[in-house]
Amino acid sequence: MSTDVPETKAASSGASPEAPGFHFRRLWSWRPVSDRQAGDAVVSNFLLHWFPAKANRVSLSWSYSFWLGTVSAALLLLLVVSGLPLLFLYIPSVERAYASVKDIEYVVTFGSWIRAVHRISAHLMVVAVALHLVRVFLTGAYKNALGGGQKRPWNWVLGVAMLVSTLFLSFTGYLLPWDQLAFWAVTVGTNIASSVPAIGPAIRELLIGGRAIEQPTLIRFYVLHVLFLPGLLGVLFAYHMWRVRKDGGLASADRSALTARRVEQPPSKTKTYTLLGVARGTAPRIRAATLESGEETVNSVSDLTRRAAIVVLGTIALVGILAVFVRSPLEEPANPLITPNPAKAPWYFLWLQEIVTDTTIHLGGITINGAFIGGVVLPGLLITLLIAWPWLDRSPAGATGLWFARTRLRQNLVFLAIVVVILALTVVGTFLRGPYWHFYWPWQPWPELPSKI
Amino acid sequence: MKEKGDRRDFLWKLGIGSGVAALGAQTIASMRSLVPNVSYDAPTTVKVGMPNDFPDGLKFLPDERLFVFRQGNTFHAVSAVCTHLGCTVRAEALPQPETKVVAGQSLRLTHRFLCPCHGSKYAGDGTNVSGPAPKPLTWYHLSVALDDGQLVVDLARPVERDFRLTVA
Repeated sequence: MSTDVPETKAASSGASPEAPGFHFRRLWSWRPVSDRQAGDAVVSNFLLHWFPAKANRVSLSWSYSFWLGTVSAALLLLLVVSGLPLLFLYIPSVERAYASVKDIEYVVTFGSWIRAVHRISAHLMVVAVALHLVRVFLTGAYKNALGGGQKRPWNWVLGVAMLVSTLFLSFTGYLLPWDQLAFWAVTVGTNIASSVPAIGPAIRELLIGGRAIEQPTLIRFYVLHVLFLPGLLGVLFAYHMWRVRKDGGLASADRSALTARRVEQPPSKTKTYTLLGVARGTAPRIRAATLESGEETVNSVSDLTRRAAIVVLGTIALVGILAVFVRSPLEEPANPLITPNPAKAPWYFLWLQEIVTDTTIHLGGITINGAFIGGVVLPGLLITLLIAWPWLDRSPAGATGLWFARTRLRQNLVFLAIVVVILALTVVGTFLRGPYWHFYWPWQPWPELPSKI
Repeated sequence: MKEKGDRRDFLWKLGIGSGVAALGAQTIASMRSLVPNVSYDAPTTVKVGMPNDFPDGLKFLPDERLFVFRQGNTFHAVSAVCTHLGCTVRAEALPQPETKVVAGQSLRLTHRFLCPCHGSKYAGDGTNVSGPAPKPLTWYHLSVALDDGQLVVDLARPVERDFRLTVA
């Protein structure tokens, strides 16, 4: 196919392929035979465009980044791909949504597997994105160690926005089956919005498209889930990747640049300003540090691309296999008449459910609803704190891209304390809460309660 | 050259300003279209049945999320919607009914209410006793329909806790 393309092109432009000045660009080649082909490959291959020609050695190590960002991206890819068939099979109507999900689960060939891939990827993505944030924090990777146009704090803010988007995507996603979990999650979630003083009820009405949870509610959350939030996350993802490149790769590269031995660079005989020249080190140099040397860097092809492929394919394989064995639950159809007892959110929101339970404040004659404090104020403060943290961090540049830097000991401990509290609340909500949200030890049986009221 | 306050500067600002205004107005228009003008929700005034069909004590009406209490020929209605985050509370019969003075009126309490979502507890008159609930369960207005004598609840009309409907 590729052989007759130049002819048609030549024919249409009226020039033969050998004509002077005519330079045909094949799409790209894995095995370039000339410098020009290699250069074209760098320009026209998306992966080579995305990745730098040379990558810092430490940033490729498994134990520095655990490749959590790549895992998150692979899961996002899986979610989009597995979401496409579901988009054809799911019907966003309160009468038919539950039945259509039930059909996907029990009737459609491979339907339960596709739904399981989507669901497992969603759960794992919450984990991967959260762990990625923890990794970036603990390595101080949101810091600009070199300056000169670096905006790593801003990329951290984008990352926080992506975590929040991921959580909203999960929330809007588990509403779609319109089962009991869905109905009561919307009830509680939108009532949290409603608890904001003054504007709360208006926000709730806008979210659910009326005063009761009905068809307008489902279609709103459906559009958010399949269009608005994925679009937002896609834009943020592209921006996030672009900033990583602009900031000079992972923060460990900053660290290498700071600690690299400064060696006199021999002047090179031929100087070229092309991209390949930069890759080969024949371009004029500005810095005397040996960042280009083989000690610190490796070629992206194939050291970076190989590992990226292992991570992405490994993630796909893991989810694909898990989805064969782990079935996705479907609760009873949504019933506005009966609240399940206990009514529990998915595990990643149970710490919030625990907080809204415990934060109603009675001060003299004034009562502030825990829905507002635990559902709006505390999460809002937490997100604000996360966003502001890079500007509060006054540690030296040497603490960038290093696990548990001594100079960041105190802030790492504060951060880990918050993480531990959230995990502890999640454990309490998951394992220690029973009917009427009472406290039960895991070995304590739950009481038999009449199912009818 | 643009200088502050000259014609060129004015036109520049006018252009940018009208662009921003147009974008803002269109955003507001798009957002406004999402706010419903007509409510297709269930009506808030509902006939719930003949007074004599209600048992003495409590009856739960799931569609209205409402508890209707009857004591002889007096009636009152308490919402089953938890004031914390809107789950439906469940009634639990007290081992011993007790009588309490609520808002100047004596009231026989036969149940208490528990919320399955976050563990709020309410006394039989709707008072929030423990858990995250910030305020008592709402009492709603009851009346007798003029045409067929059914009980009518107005879910848009909260009432004080001394409200009683006496049916002749």
